[in-house]
Amino acid sequence: MTRQEIQHEVKNIFLREFEIENPGMDDDLRETYEFDSIDAIELLLAIENFLGYEITQEEKKQAINIRTINQICDYIEKIAKTRKPSLVVK
Amino acid sequence: MERRVVITGSSAITPIGHGKDQIVDSLLKGTSGVKPLREDEFLGRYIHSRVYGTVDYPIAYDFKRNHRKTMGPVAYYACQVAKEVLEQSGLTEDFITSGRLGVAFGSIHGSPTVQRNIYRIFFGATENVAVQGIGAVDYLKSMVHTTAVNITKMFGITGRVISSGTACTTSSQSIGYGYESVKFGMQDAMLCGGADEYDTITVAVFDNLLACSTAFNSEPHRTPRPFDKLRDGLVVGEGAGAIMLEEYEFARKRGANILGEVIGFACNNNGGDLILPNLKGITNTLKLGVENAKINPLDVDLISAHATATKMGDIIEAQAISDVFGDNPYIVGLKSYTGHTMAACGVMETIMSLYIMQEGFIAPTLNLEEIDERCTMIKHVQKILQQPVRTAAIQNFAFGGVNTILLIRKFS
Repeated sequence: MTRQEIQHEVKNIFLREFEIENPGMDDDLRETYEFDSIDAIELLLAIENFLGYEITQEEKKQAINIRTINQICDYIEKIAKTRKPSLVVK
Repeated sequence: MERRVVITGSSAITPIGHGKDQIVDSLLKGTSGVKPLREDEFLGRYIHSRVYGTVDYPIAYDFKRNHRKTMGPVAYYACQVAKEVLEQSGLTEDFITSGRLGVAFGSIHGSPTVQRNIYRIFFGATENVAVQGIGAVDYLKSMVHTTAVNITKMFGITGRVISSGTACTTSSQSIGYGYESVKFGMQDAMLCGGADEYDTITVAVFDNLLACSTAFNSEPHRTPRPFDKLRDGLVVGEGAGAIMLEEYEFARKRGANILGEVIGFACNNNGGDLILPNLKGITNTLKLGVENAKINPLDVDLISAHATATKMGDIIEAQAISDVFGDNPYIVGLKSYTGHTMAACGVMETIMSLYIMQEGFIAPTLNLEEIDERCTMIKHVQKILQQPVRTAAIQNFAFGGVNTILLIRKFS
């Protein structure tokens, strides 16, 4: 999975789940789109569905300070590296 | 300190229309909102009663995603009527968010649609998948105070929250407790009401208790039939209503359009059986309401009876009315138009009574063709009357033995 593929899917999630179209990669999601704690939980569920496996409670807690799309992509990359080799970012 | 409490906004989504014009038109034309029960792929096919007080017209919601995400169908109804009442009241955003405005709003059990989806996941999946399938917001959508807090969230209301969930007295309690909050100076205004969404679980409960109407399945508009000899039970319905209560001096000084005044409220419990109507308990409630309003029973011109059209309930209520009010006030059973909208019935009937006061007519009880001989001691309305109403009482009684009465007066 490339960084570009992850970005593409994250933006799809934002459009599908949160009705946010093409958010800027470094926009503060809370400030710009009123993205809140409930959205963050829903996002984690969507990421689990995307990855195809469960994110541990510890990993979820690490997402607490995420504010931008770039940070979400970093987070997904980091988790993917700890799982299946096929999902490791090239 | 006792302050006067006036009504400065009202809105309802009912089986007979949305907003004053449609509702008044239906009351004048005698239009019933009772339709065939809708299929829900759940309980519908097993229920004997095939009728329902139905909201079958589109409602143009324009809620932002940020608000929609915590709302089940019941909260959509609630937030829509709340929005309309806030607009109508003309209260400023500064006031709405100041802490001087509170919310008293409820439903009988949150959102059954959302709860049903949780059950589907629970019973239809492995444990692991079930946990995954339950959304982070499902509780916020389905909890019993979901209507009240979705309203506070949407409009930034920071005052007190009261969320009654006392079945058929939910919204009459909302109004009553909102009235007391303003009357005794705890809030300067209260947004009060109740809502319930389409739900066959409630129908199934009453169906199993043999309390639902089944004899008019092929002619839904002919039921319910409050006080009628052929009545055979209640008809469950859906909808929502809200009113704005304000302290009189505050409303007057800001030039608000005052629609009416709440002059009294009482609530008590039968202290015993949780289902059967209780003459002593209900009679006491009506007496307490009259005392609270500091009026003579003969001052009451119109009573909106709870009148669900059950065999015993209507008889007990007629006896209680006769004991307290004699045969002076006109009696109307407004559920004959809407069915029993559960948490919404108290506020809907308050709003319809308010419209009747404003327009100077009394709507008849639909389907009241031959009065049950055990209910003849009170003054029924069987055809439209051009009759001014100055003071009205709205009566509601609930499972659990909870009884309420609200007294409202035309503002002058």
